[in-house]
Amino acid sequence: MPETVSPGLKDELVAQIGNLRAFAVSLCGDRERADDLVQETLYKAWNNLGSFQEGTNLKAWLFTILRNTYFSERRKKKREVEDVDGAYAAKLSSSPEQHGHMDMRDFQEALSELPDDQREALVLVGAAGFSYEEAAEISDCAVGTIKSRVNRARRRIAERLNLDEGEDSPADLVGAATAAASRGA
Amino acid sequence: MTEDDKDKAQRRMAVDASKSTRRPDDEIVEPTAQPDASMSPALQAHIGRQVRAVFDSVAQEPVPEHLLRLLKDLDDSGES
Repeated sequence: MPETVSPGLKDELVAQIGNLRAFAVSLCGDRERADDLVQETLYKAWNNLGSFQEGTNLKAWLFTILRNTYFSERRKKKREVEDVDGAYAAKLSSSPEQHGHMDMRDFQEALSELPDDQREALVLVGAAGFSYEEAAEISDCAVGTIKSRVNRARRRIAERLNLDEGEDSPADLVGAATAAASRGA
Repeated sequence: MTEDDKDKAQRRMAVDASKSTRRPDDEIVEPTAQPDASMSPALQAHIGRQVRAVFDSVAQEPVPEHLLRLLKDLDDSGES
């Protein structure tokens, strides 16, 4: 247990809870379990703050703890539950909190169908704001592996949502992206 | 992007799609992986925005009370 935790560091921890929850949901697809994961992550982080060097990347450190916690639990569970991925897809698509635009729901479904490692890479780099290098450290793999996972993830989603059809002119896509951005995405 | 470029991109994509029918082996590092040349920057940006929208829809929710309480409890127990 840390002797003293500076208020600044504690505030930074609190500030990352939202990101941790979003990452946890993207990993396990289950909001209740995601909050359990975040809780465990905060607990571990707090008790290991001594090993965290203030001034370095707290966010990446926390994401790493959460990810390791998730996978070590999943390794245990995998022996009990067979269809983890199937359960993921079912839960995500029926989650009542996930409302919003139809295209977002379609997208969410395509995202949930990605292989775990590809979804993780895409979320870390594409949404959580990590560099390829940071994502590689969090996922404990090579930078090139992260890059290829992100590329594969994008291609799969494009195929799944027919975004690679010839009729989708680049102009349409820019329009859609701009519309999404102006909606506050 | 010219029609010709688009064609090439689609052919490349078709090749990749056939590869991905078997489960890709991620332990093989592809050192040449770049900002994806087989996909237009507009499409990559579009997908990026969508991923962010999904992520932010959770990240921007109010933090559940019990998580804030946990940190407070940990903080308090450290002081006693």
